[in-house]
Amino acid sequence: MRINDLVFGVLMVLLGTVTVWASRDFPSMPRQEYGAGTFPTLIGLLLVLFGVVLALRGWQRREALFHWQSAIPVSHVLLCIAALVAATLGYILLTPVLGFPLMSVAMLTAMIGWLSGGRWRLATSTALIATLLIWLTFVELLRVPLSLGFLEEVIYG
Amino acid sequence: MMELQSALGMVFDWQVLLVVLAASVFGLFIGAIPGLTATTATALLVPLTFFMDPLPAIGAIVSATAMAIVAGDIPGALLRIPGTPASAAYTDEAYLMGRQGHIGQALGINLLCSVLGGVIGVAILAFFAPLVADFAIQFTSDEYFWLALLGLSCAVLVSGADPLKGAISMLLGLLISMVGLSSASGQMRFTFGIPELLNGISILPVLIGLFAIAELLRRLPEVGKLSMPTPPPVQKPFAGVAGITWRYKGGVARSGVLGTLIGALPGAGADIASWISYALARKVSKTPEKFGTGHPEGLVSASSANNAALSGAYIPALVFGIPGDTITAIIIGVLMMKGITPGPDVFTTDTVLVYAIFIIFLLANLLLLPLGLLAVRSARHILAVPSAVLYPLILLFCIVGAYANNNSMLDVAIMLILGLVAYVLAENRFPIGPMILAVILGPIIESNFLRSMIKANGDLTMLLDRPIAIGLGTLALLAWLSILLSSCWSIRRASHVARSSSP
Repeated sequence: MRINDLVFGVLMVLLGTVTVWASRDFPSMPRQEYGAGTFPTLIGLLLVLFGVVLALRGWQRREALFHWQSAIPVSHVLLCIAALVAATLGYILLTPVLGFPLMSVAMLTAMIGWLSGGRWRLATSTALIATLLIWLTFVELLRVPLSLGFLEEVIYG
Repeated sequence: MMELQSALGMVFDWQVLLVVLAASVFGLFIGAIPGLTATTATALLVPLTFFMDPLPAIGAIVSATAMAIVAGDIPGALLRIPGTPASAAYTDEAYLMGRQGHIGQALGINLLCSVLGGVIGVAILAFFAPLVADFAIQFTSDEYFWLALLGLSCAVLVSGADPLKGAISMLLGLLISMVGLSSASGQMRFTFGIPELLNGISILPVLIGLFAIAELLRRLPEVGKLSMPTPPPVQKPFAGVAGITWRYKGGVARSGVLGTLIGALPGAGADIASWISYALARKVSKTPEKFGTGHPEGLVSASSANNAALSGAYIPALVFGIPGDTITAIIIGVLMMKGITPGPDVFTTDTVLVYAIFIIFLLANLLLLPLGLLAVRSARHILAVPSAVLYPLILLFCIVGAYANNNSMLDVAIMLILGLVAYVLAENRFPIGPMILAVILGPIIESNFLRSMIKANGDLTMLLDRPIAIGLGTLALLAWLSILLSSCWSIRRASHVARSSSP
């Protein structure tokens, strides 16, 4: 999606202003004016400056604020973005409860099944094999503590 | 000599060799798939390298990127879709050669010239890096401050047609690098009361977000919408290749050297090297009219240049710790996670490691030949892997990779947020390269600046007190001035365009 530079410019001005404001109390080093606040303030000011230039430029081009130009319909693109966000958020929230193995199999099966247009057998088998491989690599080989969730009690309890 | 022997001993360890081989195959696969770049391959590898020693970690990244750049030529020649941006300069040429029945020859030239260019690049790297390091050993925080600032500004200038958007992307990167405890004063900055942010935003989720999640968001909607044509079979990949390469040996040598130099420039990488070498080959050619019709001369030059550039980028990275492109930015990030700060000292204190890195480079480039041949033979199968299966797997790998560094779900969330931001920015033609360079360079610039100010009691002019610092400082200030001027100039141009288009 094409967003007019005016919008980005205004956002950058806002971000820059907030940055400068949030850096106002950072102390400087003894006997001089530079310190922890120098760079954040400078970055904030430059963001404001470049944001203004970008906004002015976008305003002068007089184009629509938002417009769609891809061959793929906007609803489909948004759906895909939503799917990725939902999958990642789902992983963050549910893995501590359900555990990595269940979550991984569920997520992969759902996504592959959906993207491949309903080839569920392919989706389930890929999900099972991939989950096993990732578990072996990260947990057994690299010792990353991926959560087992409630399975921990089932297995060890 | 003893050092060289111990370096060889370090490299020819079966674990290191296995890592290099596996990373090459991984790079081959990712590079051959259109849309997934050498940088994506690196971003996906980094979580694994986190658990390795420094040498195999570097070896994995070096071999995966070299292989990905070569494999990127394959879909370019077969389908006219460059596998990575570094192949885009000569995709048409290679495809047209294929149309004329020389597909095997085109891919053979890609492969052989990549190896030759890569070896030239490694030779220059191994020869010059220690010399530059000798010179750089006299640098103080003043010079490092200017050098890092110069690197940042060049990254903005070469990032694309619009330096203004490059500059904004860079500022956002700098802002990310400011989160956490300030290195100089221990001040908490932008932590939003989250204790995990005290150590700053770790580099791993940033990398995966910017280069893998953003890429997935771009590619996911295409699944099932854009169908990939079936590639033609490749016959006799090496017939006549040696003869053609020999005929244009001058081009190989010229592009190898040029590519290395371009790669060494901050911000310019393999893609720019191959465009410039292609254009130069056309300019000095005796038959420039044949370029763009399936003529091998440009192909020879450009495929030598892009692999040479990969090695060139390591000169500033290893010697100064200043990344020349996104991939070396990632390597520096990886080394810093392991507690090694690249710089001229490494050349004197850790000569064996430096030699070992050079040997790994050579090995990775020589491995291109057998593995590249394998890639050409198996191209049809790689391109047949359904993206509906591949993309969800990459997503899960990203999530687990981002989590694995600190065992933290916060990192997964950061990865997601930055992926979304990078996606929206890239869709609106903001380059992402300057952002990741800024994330790496931000702390370097700030700590060197504050160190200089402590020495100079807050006197800014002392930054320009030494001759090398004056030279670097002038260059850096000129580069920043040109960014500012060209940004302001673009407003005037925009108003001209608006006026001339309205009645």
